[in-house]
Amino acid sequence: MKAVEVKNLIKTYGDIRAVDGIDFDVNENEIFALIGPNGAGKSTTLRILATILTPSSGEAFVYGNNVRKDPDSVRKLISYLPEEAGAYKALSGMAYLKFMADLYTDDSKKKTEAVEVALRIANLGNRIKDKIKNYSKGMTRKLLLARAVMMKPKLAILDEPTSGLDVINAMEIRKIIRDLSRQGMSVLLSSHNMLEIEFLSDRVGLIHRGKMYEIGTAEELKKEHNAKNLEEVFMATAAINRISL
Amino acid sequence: MKKFFILVKKEIRELLTPQMLIPLLVVVLIFNFVGKIIGKEVKKSQVPQPIEIIDLDRSAVSQSVIEIIKKSNFAPNVTIENKKEEILAQARQKKEKAMLVIPAGFEKGIKNFEPQKIEVYNIMRNFSVTGSRDAAILNAAIAAINEVLSNQLISQAILGKDPGQLKRPVLTNEFVMVGEKTANISAAAVSGFIASQTTFIPIILFLIIVFASQMIATSIASEKENKTLETLLSTPVSRKFIVASKLFAAGFVALITAVVYLFGMRNYMTSMTGGSGTNLDGATKNAIIELGLQFSTYDYVLLGLSLFFGILAALAISFILGSFAQDTKSAQGVVAPLMILILVPYLLTMLLDFSSLSPLVRNLVYAIPFSHPFLAAPSLLLNQYQNVWLGIGYLAFFFIVAVIIASKIFSTERIFTLRLKFKKSNFKIGK
Ligand SMILES: Nc1ncnc2c1ncn2[C@@H]1O[C@H](COP(=O)(O)OP(=O)(O)OP(=O)(O)O)[C@@H](O)[C@H]1O
Ligand SMILES: [Mg+2]
Repeated sequence: MKAVEVKNLIKTYGDIRAVDGIDFDVNENEIFALIGPNGAGKSTTLRILATILTPSSGEAFVYGNNVRKDPDSVRKLISYLPEEAGAYKALSGMAYLKFMADLYTDDSKKKTEAVEVALRIANLGNRIKDKIKNYSKGMTRKLLLARAVMMKPKLAILDEPTSGLDVINAMEIRKIIRDLSRQGMSVLLSSHNMLEIEFLSDRVGLIHRGKMYEIGTAEELKKEHNAKNLEEVFMATAAINRISL
Repeated sequence: MKKFFILVKKEIRELLTPQMLIPLLVVVLIFNFVGKIIGKEVKKSQVPQPIEIIDLDRSAVSQSVIEIIKKSNFAPNVTIENKKEEILAQARQKKEKAMLVIPAGFEKGIKNFEPQKIEVYNIMRNFSVTGSRDAAILNAAIAAINEVLSNQLISQAILGKDPGQLKRPVLTNEFVMVGEKTANISAAAVSGFIASQTTFIPIILFLIIVFASQMIATSIASEKENKTLETLLSTPVSRKFIVASKLFAAGFVALITAVVYLFGMRNYMTSMTGGSGTNLDGATKNAIIELGLQFSTYDYVLLGLSLFFGILAALAISFILGSFAQDTKSAQGVVAPLMILILVPYLLTMLLDFSSLSPLVRNLVYAIPFSHPFLAAPSLLLNQYQNVWLGIGYLAFFFIVAVIIASKIFSTERIFTLRLKFKKSNFKIGK
């Protein structure tokens, strides 16, 4: 079964066609990355799959569940890390993790496990007991990322997961995402970091102005465009489709 | 259900921020502080106040004048020498409040039916309430002197008659009629009693509704501002629980806040009145019961229902309004229309005789859902049960409609896309 199936998905805001008829699949245990310039429609696509937005037309499925008709079933399978996310400032990092774990499960053993996983990933040491309002941007991001994967969801939807993190922390997080995916978690992410995408993703979708231009593995795309790296692919695609980036 | 309480706990924690608690504490402390000071002043004025009296007559009548002054809670310092200036200077130094001069020939004049003048020097140091009260007490003492002396004169002139009767040949025997019931009591006593019973209801109601509305709007707006809403709405928790937990937490915190304020205010009020409660004498109590002006258990239940649905309706409407706010700053603004809807009936029912309003205005006020809880207490006292039930029904209807709309907003993407668009002068609600 596919982790994600997207069929002719369209999302409009008034006259703006944020997503303009895209199709793609994400296989089970796969890491699929959406790349594309600012305003391409990456976040909009992820939000639809996270049941935050409703599609204007077309269909999207998560493990066979229709996001429009059966969002409750979808929410049980996914966890979503928004692009710009925050946490409850009055809580400590620890309290936040416990609170979020409580929302996913009533099983106290699973909860403790999840919080332990998150503590390891967030790696905030003693600061985990600090109020979140005293965290730096990167610390908050690590906490949120840890929260997003701690329940080991069937599908993690991560919108620019490592944005705002330093090189070392970003590398650390990428390894964790890859390990979790090998343990059976499918991942759909977006990123502007081509290194990250080459390191992490099994397949890449290149999206611009709401349309999907290319889908394939990083290797396939590089070969096809005769490019040394994904950045060159990105530029080449732009040239072929005469799109201004 | 467990998730509901987890959400409620988190909502309450988010609402009870220092920004919210500190003003609350400060207000209560100020109320308490002011109350204590006033209480002290009141107590001070209850001990006999020193007062200077120059008695130039030294007669039996002037002596009885001094006795009456003493009985009116003054401690007179009597001098018989004519040293006005000196004694006045002394009185001022000793911070006394007044000096009286009883002229020579006072007794003789009175006995010859000639009006006599007592000079009264009021030493004013400030123009506060306590200051004017001292002057009022002195005036009352002078009135008492007149009463006693005129009684003496009358009984001298017309022997064998009761001077009290002669002075007030017409007496009243007051009756009050409420609905069908009549009782032998004065109108002043009835309205005094009703005021003492019902003044706090609209204040509590007003406070709770205002706090609750602001809290719920803030709670939604802060989820948007802090970017926690998207994450929360992607979790496998029923959106109905999320909506309900916000309503419940805001209502709960508002209730506590209102109780704390009230507690502070009550301390303040009781200290103002010197702790004298509203103890009724037996006759008044019986008359009030005869008139049916006491809340029965049934009345209390209806009153509670009306208040309860009033608060629920306000919460649900604020929830909708709060969805339009993008941040906590604009949250205060979006609930402004609701504040007006609450303020209008609050002021109207406090200041005006509702039944004397023109039918048009009255129906307009009835159309505001929040008028009904304010009108419930007076309606119940007048046994207008139908009005109260209609009000409760209207509020319940409003609440249900508002909750349905609120859940619709929250269970779709509208919660993210609703916003008020301000365009130059005119603004419209946009998607
Ligand atoms: N709430 C909204 N109202 C109107 N237009 C919107 C809204 N949200 C997004 N858009 C528009 O939809 C388009 C796609 O936006 P989206 O956020 O999906 O881009 P993105 O690929 O994630 O970009 P970035 O790399 O900058 O994050 C943009 O043109 C954006 O302006
Ligand atoms: Mg984006």
